[in-house]
Amino acid sequence: MTFAQRLVLSFVVCTASTVAYTAALGAQQAAPAPAAATAPAAPVSPTTAELKDAAAKAPSPADLQKGDPGGTVTGTINDVPPSDPKVGRTIGDVANQLGQSTIAINFVWTLITGFLVMFMQAGFAMVESGLCRAKNANHTYMMNFLVYGCGLLAYWLVGFAIQMGGAAGNTNLGGLAPLAGEHTMSLFGKTWGLFGTVGLLLSGHAYDVGVMVIFLFEMVFMDTALTIVTGACAERWKFLAFAASSVLMGALTYPLYGNWAWGGGWLAQLGSNLGLGHGYADFAGSGVVHAVGGITALAVCLIIGPRIGKFNRDGSSNPILGHDISAVLIGCFILAFGWFGFNPGSTLGAATNGNLRIGTIAVDTMLAGCTGTFGALLYMWILKGKADASMSGNGLLAGLVAITAPSGFVSPIGAAIIGLVAGVLVCVSVAFIENVMKVDDPVGAISVHGTNGLWGVLAVGLFADGTSNYGGAWNGVSGSVTGLFYGDAGQFAAQLVGISTLLGFVFTFSFVLNYALEYFIGHRVSAATELKGLDLPEMGQLGYPEFVLVPEPDVMIQAEKQFAVA
Amino acid sequence: MAATKAQGRSFAFFLVALAVGCVGMATWSTGIGKLAFVAGAVALVASLFGMRRIKPEEGKPAQRAGSEGAKLGGAFVALLGWLVTLGGLHVVSSTGGRIVLALVGIAISLFGMVVLLPRAVNKNAIWKA
Repeated sequence: MTFAQRLVLSFVVCTASTVAYTAALGAQQAAPAPAAATAPAAPVSPTTAELKDAAAKAPSPADLQKGDPGGTVTGTINDVPPSDPKVGRTIGDVANQLGQSTIAINFVWTLITGFLVMFMQAGFAMVESGLCRAKNANHTYMMNFLVYGCGLLAYWLVGFAIQMGGAAGNTNLGGLAPLAGEHTMSLFGKTWGLFGTVGLLLSGHAYDVGVMVIFLFEMVFMDTALTIVTGACAERWKFLAFAASSVLMGALTYPLYGNWAWGGGWLAQLGSNLGLGHGYADFAGSGVVHAVGGITALAVCLIIGPRIGKFNRDGSSNPILGHDISAVLIGCFILAFGWFGFNPGSTLGAATNGNLRIGTIAVDTMLAGCTGTFGALLYMWILKGKADASMSGNGLLAGLVAITAPSGFVSPIGAAIIGLVAGVLVCVSVAFIENVMKVDDPVGAISVHGTNGLWGVLAVGLFADGTSNYGGAWNGVSGSVTGLFYGDAGQFAAQLVGISTLLGFVFTFSFVLNYALEYFIGHRVSAATELKGLDLPEMGQLGYPEFVLVPEPDVMIQAEKQFAVA
Repeated sequence: MAATKAQGRSFAFFLVALAVGCVGMATWSTGIGKLAFVAGAVALVASLFGMRRIKPEEGKPAQRAGSEGAKLGGAFVALLGWLVTLGGLHVVSSTGGRIVLALVGIAISLFGMVVLLPRAVNKNAIWKA
């Protein structure tokens, strides 16, 4: 082949190749998209590949059939359901499951602790009845029994809506978004919450899993406040008046203050609106529950008057002994047990936002109860010469009441001091209320819950040490709650405003409400009923029908002659 | 005479009235809701007056009336203390000033609750008879 022939052949081959390549390229670009019978395989990310690998390495059904005594192979990636089985498990599936598990942990924690608080009703019943006379046992137990129903009904109908109807935003329980109905007022350029409006009968948007959890938890707290009043007014409170008063307290009095403190109301906004610390801070309810209950008890006691035979003509008081000290002390232990739900449960969760402080809160609660017991026991032992059982029990309760508000914010040493002061304070307060004010409180409820509830509120403003961290903020103000002793006078001021509201508003509101009930119903039983004992006339049955009761002391016999009704 | 059937009926009526009123509030946006609220409120007041009607049948309690004005006055003084505290929040801007006024308000409230009211209540106390 000559050079010229080779040159022509090369040119022809190159040209032919170029034409063929170009034709092939154009054919590829012009080709239609393949039919969509199967989607193209998504590119497999390294994370998804890891998930598939982990699923493959998880124990097989054959492995699981052998049993898992050590719990090491139960609960694996195969328990995370994929949102699309065709695609398989993705990182989004795992993230969603993590979120739901976090909320589920918080739900279970809040519900279980709420169940503990509900059981405190039994403790209150035993303490109150044990401190009253046997002839009133049935009536006293029945008040504590029915107050659960009265409070729950009122709270379900309207109280919860007033208190928590505007409480949306709690991330622990999924956000509580339906509770977005806070009625507000503008004053001096700031917006202040007054009461909620969503959640009557738990209907409408309030029919929500998170709302149900917070309803149960808040309801059992409300009932604790209501039951306090039954103890102070025992042995002469007409059952009808007690029932009506309890319904109205559960519907109005408690929810109003509860909204202001916990439901997005103005007391909690003192920090964000006026710069007073973190606003009124009451972790588990020294103010909201115990002081409201104790102060309402004082209001009703002032209306109802003392028991026949309690005071002599010269104003000196006569001890009226309870009939069952064993019930009192066992009841105190039941209450102390339930308080492990009251305080640690108020984190409303165990999986988020600093909730691992639940151990500290529980220990603070125990310590305050312990030092409260010692405070009262030693005070009575030194002053009166005896280790008084009923005051020791009240000392335990006083310590627990006082630590309720600060439990989420203080150290164990602070808790011990708070409890010790409470134990002494309850003894001083009982004497003051009985001997100076001449108010008859058969169980010391006003002193245990009212006086020490106020002390607990104040203790937050003094002892909060700034180490807690519940999501980096409290009441919308960033940082930790800190008291006066640790540098925040604003917090102390906010607590004083809360105390003033309890004394000035809650007391007056309760007094006026029950004063109206006195007009319509009359709080007190007849003198004849009171002397006979409330069990038969009010309840139709004796608490101890087979017991032969000891005769009344002379002072009661004199009173019978004075109040004898034909 | 103590607890009676009439008391039971009155309390049942009271609870039903409250429930109807609350259902009315829950369904306020509807016409039936407004009607239920009004009916419930009226029934609630009626139930209270029904209880007042049977009150004398329950016997005479060991209480003596009197000083009602002084009792309400004591309660009003307690409320006044709270108003002093609230007023202080807006009149004074310093934390120290607000603390002082809050303490003044608390003292006024306690005076009403612990001094005035008990004095009024005990003026005609049964144990003085």
